[in-house]
Amino acid sequence: MKFEETELSGFGKYPKAKCKIAQPSGLFDISEILKKNSVIPRGLGRSYGDASLNVKGIVAETALMNRFISFDENKGIVKCEAGVTYKDLLDTFVIRGWFPAVTPGTKYVTMGGAIASDVHGKNHHKVGSISSFVSSFRLLTATGDIIECSRENNSGLFWATVGGMGLTGFILDCEIQLKKITSPYIFNKAIKLGNLDALFEKIEEYSDNYHYSVAWIDVVAKGSSYGRGILLLGNNAEINELPEKLKKRSQLKYIEKKIAVPFEIPFNTLNKLTVSLFNAGIYLTARNTEDFQHYDKYFYPLDFVLDWNHIYSKSGLIQYQLNVPLEKGKEAIDKVLKKVVSYGGGSFLAVIKKMGNQEGILSFPFEGYTLSMDFPVKKGTIEMCQQLDKIVMEYGGRTYLTKDSILDEKTFKHMYSGLWEKWMKIKMKYDPNNKFTSDLGRRIGLCLS
Amino acid sequence: MSLLILGANSLIAQAAASHFAEAGHEIIFAGRKQDEPEKYANDFAIRYKCRTRAEYIDALDYPSHKKFVEDILAKTPELEYILIVFGYLGTQDKAQTDFTEAHRIIDTNFTGVVSVCELFAAEFESLKKGNIAVISSVAGDRGRQSNYMYGSAKGGLTVYLSGLRNRLFKSGVNVLTIKPGFVNTPMTYGMPLPKPLVASPEKVGKDIYKAMIKRKSVIYTPFYWRWIMFVITSIPEFLFKKLKL
Repeated sequence: MKFEETELSGFGKYPKAKCKIAQPSGLFDISEILKKNSVIPRGLGRSYGDASLNVKGIVAETALMNRFISFDENKGIVKCEAGVTYKDLLDTFVIRGWFPAVTPGTKYVTMGGAIASDVHGKNHHKVGSISSFVSSFRLLTATGDIIECSRENNSGLFWATVGGMGLTGFILDCEIQLKKITSPYIFNKAIKLGNLDALFEKIEEYSDNYHYSVAWIDVVAKGSSYGRGILLLGNNAEINELPEKLKKRSQLKYIEKKIAVPFEIPFNTLNKLTVSLFNAGIYLTARNTEDFQHYDKYFYPLDFVLDWNHIYSKSGLIQYQLNVPLEKGKEAIDKVLKKVVSYGGGSFLAVIKKMGNQEGILSFPFEGYTLSMDFPVKKGTIEMCQQLDKIVMEYGGRTYLTKDSILDEKTFKHMYSGLWEKWMKIKMKYDPNNKFTSDLGRRIGLCLS
Repeated sequence: MSLLILGANSLIAQAAASHFAEAGHEIIFAGRKQDEPEKYANDFAIRYKCRTRAEYIDALDYPSHKKFVEDILAKTPELEYILIVFGYLGTQDKAQTDFTEAHRIIDTNFTGVVSVCELFAAEFESLKKGNIAVISSVAGDRGRQSNYMYGSAKGGLTVYLSGLRNRLFKSGVNVLTIKPGFVNTPMTYGMPLPKPLVASPEKVGKDIYKAMIKRKSVIYTPFYWRWIMFVITSIPEFLFKKLKL
């Protein structure tokens, strides 16, 4: 087995660590690696922090395990290896009338990674996260056994692995239910809202009636426009509601266009001024609209710019995503936003969304409101996030491990109390010697060595 | 029409095949490991909705080649394109002290290819049609101390293909020699290569597809390797032998 040693990071480019990487081409290779090393599987490295780093072991990338195994054209059930990406699914199945039932905000995520993070999308309040559509997967565990996990068989391991951050074993392949569509377009409705109260009111009013719902929020606006934003609602468009032009386009193969940020911008382009201008610009140029948008623009606007994280210079970014219970949710988010402002921090892009419940033991979502913000890593950023953690805990909330790079063990165990203990029992049963480890796992006490 | 790939697990071959598949061709994956060709055949059938098939071939099992070729031809009357990609990089140091390694390098990269190629060539020659594309290497353009075992096998292959092209020209059969530079594949994984010169298998695969369709004779991929190798082959031997390449 060949290894490559290099400085590695997640998508946030913070933290960075020297890791030994391998690209197994299947079961045989992974078993070889596991004999002598501890392992964390890694897909495309789209988790933001150190979830896919492993300085004390091997990072095993699934790049070569990206094959479709079977597809049921009538039921929309696809079986594939763990390294198959959302892009693969979209490129292959949209034209045949099938769409990922749950998709994160980038298509550069593997199915293995999606399951390990139990990713959610704009429709979480309606259908839950990806695990709701995973009927089964095969997991290679520390003992070398291949265990078929589903709601019926080995359900404990199933629920520990969805959202389990890759620490229960190596997902080899999985079976996923796609959603039937008649067009690649989304009916999009945007509603401009002048302040936080209005924003929350409309989220409540509209979320039930729309399959997709998320609100962009201007974190920098002050005074009477504090908390202003745009509520973005959507439904999959039926082919017969589309204008003629789009009807025709729906039948054609979609060719995406892309630009790239070719290198890390050497200085931080994101400061109070640019962030304020950017956010004000979005708000002021937005209108209340209703239109049809192609799925690529609707779900993956940032994928249009390859390597957009390069705008955050070398020091990287922290994506902070919290979830707080519905009750007093607005109050909690209000406090968080004020804290961010008091630190002089603005978020380039911030979104609020209503979430539903989720069964995965360590899955991030539960019924409540989620707020996600990203901050450039600089002096004070980490301290600010730790202050935010306190507010989140006070309101019985938690933050998202897939985006995390700052939680300590105590804070994590407080946020996920009652859950981590349950998860740990399963981890100990299937991986008593900690063969599956990551820097995240060590940091928050999910793996002991 | 059909494309036969010899060396099914090559990312370069798969990338080239994806373009053939999108153009509606049947893809036949042949490889050494029993389950791998099947895996790729399955994947392509789902991804591109094309006809696919899996076959088994061991480049070093010469006696089996005749039957393999006969079977393929019997099953595939529409066979038009053959892409031969199997190869073995080996370890230069090991090959210098252990002849088994040297032997394997030469056999996989040269003898094995010649064995299969001749059989298909004879058939295509009589049918007066067909395209044979083979991956050689820029390493075959000039021997260097760091990998002359692999380089010489590929160099021999390049010369062989040049002769074969000459022979088959009058029968309307095209022979394409492909000379890739550094490509990001499992073969080069973990090697300290100059990053800007490392191409993706997708880029190289697309170049190969285009060259096969256009019935080219020799391509370097990416194209700039033609110039790099021009410089390297232009250095006079009295200087070249002193270099640490």
